[in-house]
Amino acid sequence: MSRGFLRNFPAFKILSEEKIEAIHAGTLEVLQKTGLTVYNDKALKVFKDAGCKVDFETKRVKFFPGLVEECLRKAPSSFSVKARNPEHDLVLGPDNIIFFNFPGTDTVDINTWDPHSPTKKEHEDLVRVLDALDNVHFLNAYPYFGYSGGIPEVMKEIEGVALRLKNSSKITVAIANNDIDKFTIQMAKAAGSEIFANPNTSSPLTYYTDQVNACFLAAEYGLPSMIWDGATSGGTAPASIAGAVILTNAELIPFIVLLQLLDPGARVSVANLVLAQNMKNGSPAFGEIGTTLHNVVFNQVWQKYGIPTVCSSCGPTSSKKIDFQTGYQKMMPTVLSAISGSSVLQLYSSIYGEITAHPLQAIVDDDIAGMIGRFVEGVDSGEEALAIDLINEVGPIPGHYLGKAHTRKWWKKEQFEPIASDRLTYPEWSKSGKKDCIDYAKEKMEKILSTHSPKPPLTSTQEKDIEKILNEARKYYKDKDLISDSEWEAYKKFLG
Amino acid sequence: MDNEILKNLRKAILEYDISGSASLAKKAVEEKIDPLKVLNEMTKAIREVGDGFGRGELWLPDLVGAADAMSAATPIIEEEIKRRGSERESLGTIILGTVFGDIHSIGKTMVATLLTAEGFKVVDLGVDIKAEKFVEAVKKYNANILAMSALMTMTAPEQRKVIKFLEDEGLRKGIKIMIGGGAITDEFAKDIGADGYDPTAPGAVKLARKLIGKE
Repeated sequence: MSRGFLRNFPAFKILSEEKIEAIHAGTLEVLQKTGLTVYNDKALKVFKDAGCKVDFETKRVKFFPGLVEECLRKAPSSFSVKARNPEHDLVLGPDNIIFFNFPGTDTVDINTWDPHSPTKKEHEDLVRVLDALDNVHFLNAYPYFGYSGGIPEVMKEIEGVALRLKNSSKITVAIANNDIDKFTIQMAKAAGSEIFANPNTSSPLTYYTDQVNACFLAAEYGLPSMIWDGATSGGTAPASIAGAVILTNAELIPFIVLLQLLDPGARVSVANLVLAQNMKNGSPAFGEIGTTLHNVVFNQVWQKYGIPTVCSSCGPTSSKKIDFQTGYQKMMPTVLSAISGSSVLQLYSSIYGEITAHPLQAIVDDDIAGMIGRFVEGVDSGEEALAIDLINEVGPIPGHYLGKAHTRKWWKKEQFEPIASDRLTYPEWSKSGKKDCIDYAKEKMEKILSTHSPKPPLTSTQEKDIEKILNEARKYYKDKDLISDSEWEAYKKFLG
Repeated sequence: MDNEILKNLRKAILEYDISGSASLAKKAVEEKIDPLKVLNEMTKAIREVGDGFGRGELWLPDLVGAADAMSAATPIIEEEIKRRGSERESLGTIILGTVFGDIHSIGKTMVATLLTAEGFKVVDLGVDIKAEKFVEAVKKYNANILAMSALMTMTAPEQRKVIKFLEDEGLRKGIKIMIGGGAITDEFAKDIGADGYDPTAPGAVKLARKLIGKE
């Protein structure tokens, strides 16, 4: 069973009970008065049968509070997910905290900081590093978006899943665009692992068909779901934080209703990727502090609902380099989300937005995760920790604690030993060649890449099964004309 | 009186007043003010907002607010131009939209606003636009430029499809194609046979001028 970190104190609350109740009431009102547009007739029928007000013409569905509250109650407050290696099984909620990576379409050159599409080796290296790091508990969809050399766009994430299953025994996520989860769910199954179904909302208040189909697949295969909402405050959501929380929740809840109607008790978590709009250039303002405030309020509401939450906005930053800005724009939201009730933190490997990621960043992030993990475990104040007898025994100077058995036992328990931070004294540092945390991360990365392999590796049968599914997918998208003739030629050449 | 209406229309755009802008446009038509003069005044107002945005004094909500106010008035004035059989002066006609499967509108709206401010006639088709609809609009408006946006890596290939459609219809040679959006790179633009790409909205305006030879 994957460890994670147990939060040993009550979650930080930013609003009064009364205010949280007002947000909940507002959400119910939006769901009842406006509802949302669902471009999926199969789902509309399920909603209709459950008593929702459905207009099949406009695809609009409106929800009664009773059904919403019943479905929220049915979703479990804690659940586990099975990996091919039981050591990587997951526990989500209620107080367990786990980490995973945020995607980057491309990698970066760490000398020029220019982005480029990763090679297959670069993609494998990132996945292997994520597999090796203790505090990465599972892997998100597209750590990178495919790799260069001739893979058609529609196949990039499917090839990516194959690469992840080969290079990591940790659980991953199946994105739903263009039905690709139909194939990736099968691939994970062939590898002996569960995978998260991944329905995404479209803001404001809209569901597209592929995303809704992800719920039907989750129900069919009995899989856990991680529902994402990625509204942009001021663009596709209100600019006010409280208003944006209402919109976010009104967008997430109907997926929970659908999942619980299809499979009562279905495992579900909600991921908050709400970002503020950069009002200068229209892109999201990654690392904006208002985003963290949104997540803290969001956590407080969902703690009340008893459904595990994922903080996705703590991974991407606005920096283009691995630098001081990357550090503070990751640390601040991650720590505040962890202490306010997030079950899952999407911290690792991303640099700028969803555009770039790098294994070196993942290694530095492992120290952030470790520090936060240590913090949430809190302070032991039992008799042995209070150490009154010991203090009396050691007494004033020249007494000291260094040689005591108590010290040998407790320092390791209380301190967190980083893997990349520079903690040398000045003379040691000068002698070491003035290394910084990035230098140490490089050394760690080289060590991982020269020694690490996933445990257990895929068996040859599993590899063959995955290849078979890949071939089915290739044919499916070729027949659907989502792979053009020229793409097909390049792809065939690439596959050899 | 005429000047008063034009002044208030300009003010309505600068104050992001959608209903005010539409009713003043109607009033301008009722008072038989030259619609070309009205449109010119509106373009000046939107240019003022665009310039303020460029200088960093105004923000995206200001730009989009002004664009919405202008959009409320434009069809009323264009209808009158058509009724009078006169010809609108512009740098050229640009068809613009976000491709099929992609519903991201903010970047596209920014570009549309700045192109309008520059003096182009912009036909904004909206989001989630199928290839056929782009081609239809290119024909209908006899456009000089087709501008397509795609934010997502998954939807970017749709731009290739539109270009292919234009080729199949024999329309490719008569039109310049510019593309943009988060998922686009120079390399991709070249690969799919677009005539230009720029990562920023002000850059898109320069690019449009370049493509029609009016730098």
